[in-house]
Amino acid sequence: MLRKEQNDLLTQTGPGTPCGSFFRSYWLPALLAEELPENDCPPVRVKLLSERLLAFRDSGGRLGLIDEFCAHRGVSLWFGRNEENGLRCPYHGWKYDVTGQCIDVPSEPEESGFCRKIRLKSYPLIERGGILWTYMGPAQEAPPLPEWEFALVPDQHRFVSKRLQESNWLQALEGGIDSSHVSFLHRGDLNSDPLFKGAKGNQYNLADSRPVFEVVESAGGLYIGARRNAEDDHYYWRITQWVMPSFTMIPPRGNHSVHGHFWIPIDDENCWTWSFDYHPIRSLTEAELAAMRDGKGIHVKCAPGTFRSVANKDNDYLIDRAAQKAGQRYSGVEGFGMQDASIQESMGPIVDRSKENLVSTDNGIIMARHRLLRAIKALVDKGERPPGLDLAHQRVRSAAVVLPRHHAFKDAAREALMARPGIAPASV
Amino acid sequence: MLSESARMSSAAEARFRIDAPNSKPRHVKVIALDSTSEAVVKHLAERRWNNASFFTASAFASAPPGRGFSIQGWLSDLAGRTTDLIDEVNSADLVVMVATAGENAQAATLIGEACSVKRVNTTGLILGGVHATDQMLSKTLAHLRPWSLMLVIATREDYIEDMLTALRA
Repeated sequence: MLRKEQNDLLTQTGPGTPCGSFFRSYWLPALLAEELPENDCPPVRVKLLSERLLAFRDSGGRLGLIDEFCAHRGVSLWFGRNEENGLRCPYHGWKYDVTGQCIDVPSEPEESGFCRKIRLKSYPLIERGGILWTYMGPAQEAPPLPEWEFALVPDQHRFVSKRLQESNWLQALEGGIDSSHVSFLHRGDLNSDPLFKGAKGNQYNLADSRPVFEVVESAGGLYIGARRNAEDDHYYWRITQWVMPSFTMIPPRGNHSVHGHFWIPIDDENCWTWSFDYHPIRSLTEAELAAMRDGKGIHVKCAPGTFRSVANKDNDYLIDRAAQKAGQRYSGVEGFGMQDASIQESMGPIVDRSKENLVSTDNGIIMARHRLLRAIKALVDKGERPPGLDLAHQRVRSAAVVLPRHHAFKDAAREALMARPGIAPASV
Repeated sequence: MLSESARMSSAAEARFRIDAPNSKPRHVKVIALDSTSEAVVKHLAERRWNNASFFTASAFASAPPGRGFSIQGWLSDLAGRTTDLIDEVNSADLVVMVATAGENAQAATLIGEACSVKRVNTTGLILGGVHATDQMLSKTLAHLRPWSLMLVIATREDYIEDMLTALRA
């Protein structure tokens, strides 16, 4: 459980809040690159960390993320005309460039220089790995550009999707590092989902339904190891990575692609669930890509033209009580992504953690909160850079490995837990 | 019309959640397995807890090797009073074993066996593990792993306090 003030601290990410400052230390995924497909395409509304913003790609291909509203009368620039290297408000013609600088106020004489006195808040926006990333912190403290392995492999090796999650970011993250729920909520999907089935590791999963967990601090966050019995005095380990602020990487299965998530606050009651799949040494096959687009694996099928899942809280997540009763789907909801989202959204927008009763297997969650609180306090009180900014913290992998029983997995699987260009992931 | 899920997961509906205790106090026994951990546990015991009690098994760890060691007399509370392992396990909901990487954690076997017989959950906590050599850590893991249903390797001692608070100890 958390005290109310601790819960508030971890769940409030708006401007001026401690956790908001923490998130503003990192490059964060803001949009899929395909949302701004060409120069002068329509602008896109973006809400991040409780700030209403607008993203656009100008005539020269420059990317901008600026305050959504015109400085003149507060009109949404989403209605703006994206033309001739700027976004023009349709109300009175005020025009802004990608830095938020006003470059034309038609009603004022050009010689007056009035437009130079108008500037909207803006943030940098860069493209990497099919994602447009932004940094919303102080310009002088901008970290190096992100180097997550999935974002650096060739485009054909990667698939990225995002979906709206109608809950606070921490509920979603805690689901991602709560390995013990997999044996219940996702039971039954391992052997049927095309992006998971067929791996030898699945047999270990099925043969030993009571995994034992080990939580180990890493430089950037945590390793969460789940071990099951394997042959000849060995354990089968599935090692999940969490790197601050909200990156997780799920252990792979067989030769399937590796996958993971980012959870990015939209506001305190909603977040983006980013999901990625990639393979370090091969292109994803057409069949894999089709499955991902169809909402298999960790992805979901969204309503056309939106990032909201077809199954959502407005239709009770299309829960199928007959499938639940028959044991086909443990919760009755289809697909890993919406199984997680339905459960996490049911807790309410921001769950009251003062009422929860954690148990020993929740140590991954307890440790993550401990580290988040520590990092936020160090940032706010002493200006210390939080973990996860160092590029070495980002060059990580999850792993599925078989190790001798007495070995510490973080040491025995040290290389497997690092991103190694051109080397296949450690997977069983 | 809003669906059941949409209506009931709103912030407005959260106001109607029942505000009554939903659990009974849990008894957590924290046992230091070596002298370094004992100092940490002693410090921890100075704080106010709901239902946590603190013990040391460091006498077991520091016993001369090769000599027979009685099942009685090696577990004591922090005032040095000998206590009976079985009695303590009988009244526990959770036993937390605290060890230091590289130190002798063999007492985990006795504690773990007792917990296993009594079906009491165990958590092993290793301090200093992040900076310990592979060999040191493996030695401690070899003792703790068979008897810990959850194992944590922490860099800082203050994690135990956060963990016990989170568990309502």
